[in-house]
Amino acid sequence: MALLSIQDLRVDFTTADGVIPAVKGLNCEIAAGECLGVVGESGSGKSQSFLAALGLLADNGTARGRVLFDGQDLLTLGQAEQNRIRGNVISMIFQDPLTALTPHLRIGDQMAEVLSQHRGISGAEAQKACLDWLDRVRIPEAKRRLRQYPHELSGGMRQRVMVAQAMLLSPRLLIADEPTTALDVTVQAEILDLIAGLQKEEGTAVALITHDMGVVARMCDRMLVMRLGEVVEEGATDAIFHAPQHDYTRLLIDAMPRLDRPDRTRPLTPVPEAAEVVLEARDVKVHFDMRVPGGLFGRTVALRAVDGVSLTLHQGETLGIVGESGCGKSTLARAVLELIPPTHGSVAWLGQSVDGLSKRQLVPRRKDLQIVFQDPLASLNPRMTISASIAEPLKTFQPGLTSKERKLRVVEIMERVGLEPALFNRYPHELSGGQNQRVGIARAMVNRPRLVICDEAVSALDVSIQAQVIGLLKDLQADLGMAMVFISHDLSVVREISHRIMVLYLGRVVELADRDAIYGAPQHPYTKSLISAVPIPDPRLERTRQRLRLPGELPSPLDPGAGLRFLPSRLASGQRDYVPRLDQVAPGHWVAEHDPLEAILAAG
Amino acid sequence: MLRYIFRRLLVAIPTLLLLIIICFLLMHAAPGGPFTSERKLPPSVLANIEAKYGLNQPLFVQLWDYLTGILLHFDFGPSFQYKDRDVNDVIATGFPVTLTYGTISFVLATVVGVALGVLAAVRHNTLLDYIAVGVTFSAQALPNFVMAPILVIIFTWQLGWLPGGGWNGGQWQYVVMPVIALSTSYMASIARITRSSMLETLHSNFIRTARAKGLPTRKILWRHALKPALMPVLSYLGPVFVAMITGSVIIDMYFSTGGIGLNYVNAAFNRDYAVMLGVTILYGALTVLFSLVVDVAYAWVDPKIRY
Repeated sequence: MALLSIQDLRVDFTTADGVIPAVKGLNCEIAAGECLGVVGESGSGKSQSFLAALGLLADNGTARGRVLFDGQDLLTLGQAEQNRIRGNVISMIFQDPLTALTPHLRIGDQMAEVLSQHRGISGAEAQKACLDWLDRVRIPEAKRRLRQYPHELSGGMRQRVMVAQAMLLSPRLLIADEPTTALDVTVQAEILDLIAGLQKEEGTAVALITHDMGVVARMCDRMLVMRLGEVVEEGATDAIFHAPQHDYTRLLIDAMPRLDRPDRTRPLTPVPEAAEVVLEARDVKVHFDMRVPGGLFGRTVALRAVDGVSLTLHQGETLGIVGESGCGKSTLARAVLELIPPTHGSVAWLGQSVDGLSKRQLVPRRKDLQIVFQDPLASLNPRMTISASIAEPLKTFQPGLTSKERKLRVVEIMERVGLEPALFNRYPHELSGGQNQRVGIARAMVNRPRLVICDEAVSALDVSIQAQVIGLLKDLQADLGMAMVFISHDLSVVREISHRIMVLYLGRVVELADRDAIYGAPQHPYTKSLISAVPIPDPRLERTRQRLRLPGELPSPLDPGAGLRFLPSRLASGQRDYVPRLDQVAPGHWVAEHDPLEAILAAG
Repeated sequence: MLRYIFRRLLVAIPTLLLLIIICFLLMHAAPGGPFTSERKLPPSVLANIEAKYGLNQPLFVQLWDYLTGILLHFDFGPSFQYKDRDVNDVIATGFPVTLTYGTISFVLATVVGVALGVLAAVRHNTLLDYIAVGVTFSAQALPNFVMAPILVIIFTWQLGWLPGGGWNGGQWQYVVMPVIALSTSYMASIARITRSSMLETLHSNFIRTARAKGLPTRKILWRHALKPALMPVLSYLGPVFVAMITGSVIIDMYFSTGGIGLNYVNAAFNRDYAVMLGVTILYGALTVLFSLVVDVAYAWVDPKIRY
């Protein structure tokens, strides 16, 4: 008999606009010890199904149908009976580890709560159990963590705490709702390994809810594809990946950017010979003053967000910038656009230096350099219609246009980025995420800039929309020949769109090369570990891949020795301020100085 | 933490000094003086009186004398209005009264307000919530100058239970009505702030985690939701506490409680420079002190805040 059997589950939400069905008759089963992948894009009802099963729906949600756990229907249970099951035999971990733990309670206290609630265990015995589990999820210095508050831990560590807390009572089913979506690739890989290990060792069944086909390929035996509240396909992971039956499944698989198979949509337009230099930055540094305790009024230390980066970008070229959170990729983008004045170094736009210019002097030059931000909804003014937002740069830079001409230009660019003219007078909240990001792109492109910086511009979008937006950017580049800087934490996406790729680590370049060189023959251990951590949406391939695991967590930029993680020999000889050299190993392929891999692994 | 408190107290000194100087100058910039009245005094008498209080000196000399008096002797000067009383006397008789009914009102408003707000949030969109919201809205629409006469009409005239005014050393019968009149609208504000911030907290991710752990609602509220939900309430309570313990002119006037609130307003009308300034300094010092208390309380509620 299946451990969990969901039969004809329907979830409805009562809203001001009437009753909205979120799940329309879900049927699925999870056997003991099995890992079931539940895949779908936003609005597919994948999370709501399992929240409903545990009785965790929002107040306006109702669930009908049957959710049999061990033969008992969870939906008919009262509050007290549900509480006996939650956290005990079924536990759940959530997407955003930064907000999922109670901020004012110590880690140890939050974990021990589960033990005292369900088993009446407290005191030293509870502490020992918590400590054991923190060790098992490989949290360094577990004992100290028990006394710490959530904000003192990194995102990856907090997710480990969530896993440890969920596993404390050895539940028979673990529901993981997008457990790695908010995490960096290397941390994601660690958490996935951890869950897979627990599944094997403890025999815990896992329901893994995700939008990422790569994660499913790595983790799951069976999978379920959902769309708009319905299951479109179900079966063994291998079978679905290699012979998808439903069009939507095929579309999802095709839409996933893949490290091993770039250029699914259209090939990149090659950079023309002897193209003009659009952007040049030399030794750019951005340091922020951070106030730390000490002295009567505290003291400040410099946080080196960007620490000596140089780059050159030609007309028609796309430079991809990748790196994990805190590596300074967004700060670098803002610094080269002079949105944050660099602390040091020089920047030239279109061959002319902009160093030392006042904000007012910079304004007329900004026409040719535009930026598209990550959160499409938040970066548009909610009180302006989208056409007004798109028209604003025209008003600034081409004040001579009549309102009729301006309207014409707006309609033209809207059409170009794939926005229907009917949306002209709509507000951002009336549009989908993908449409809003097209508005962002239209706003950036309306003056035909020479350079567009895309700062995580597709990260918040569903994969199918992501693929469309990337296709659009490539098209625009082919037509208009603008240069792009494409910043992302997602290595597969960057590979799709970039001619050259720069890998950043704590504000410094560790590797810079053509995209084929960097993915085909990465030289720096950090690049290698990043690439090997990205899951590939192909179960057969994914299971045979070797991962390169570097020791330790991603360190804080405030940690003085952190910059020399790949040069433990220099650190050992006391040269804490040593700046690793960038060597050219092949034409156009630069690699930061590092110790041999064995030495780095040994030092960790 | 101690270092932080010390630093804040250090910063308070120039703040208060600035407050004194600005108030002093503003007071003197206002037309008229303490001894201008409808019935004009003969010029020679006026000159004599002004000389006695030092008002004939240049302004900066008066300011200097005033400041040195405070710093060296803790002397806030004589009252211009009440003969033979100095500012210290006026404050010493009036402040204990307002401190008493203000503190009781504050505790009442906070306890009832928070409880009402939490209850309304927990029972969101139920009859209880609607009643709580209705009550708080009406209470906010009842300022103390409306509340006070209503109370007197009911409890003094109709029922004859409570005395209509006076203080009588703070006997309970005399305290009840001032407390109710003063606390009602504050209570309503506190309830509304608590309700909305509790609602927000209850929808946050960590509450979902707590529910997924199988904790009962009572535990989720007390251990997980209450502290974060009180953050916005806390920042409101600091200034409210100062406003309440320094009393209200309406309460003092209506119930003849003899508190400092009335002295303050009378001093302003009568250009009683010394009383006016003395009470202002008291308010200023209390405000500085309690905003520090609120900031320290923040650190207790939110471990992310460390000084």
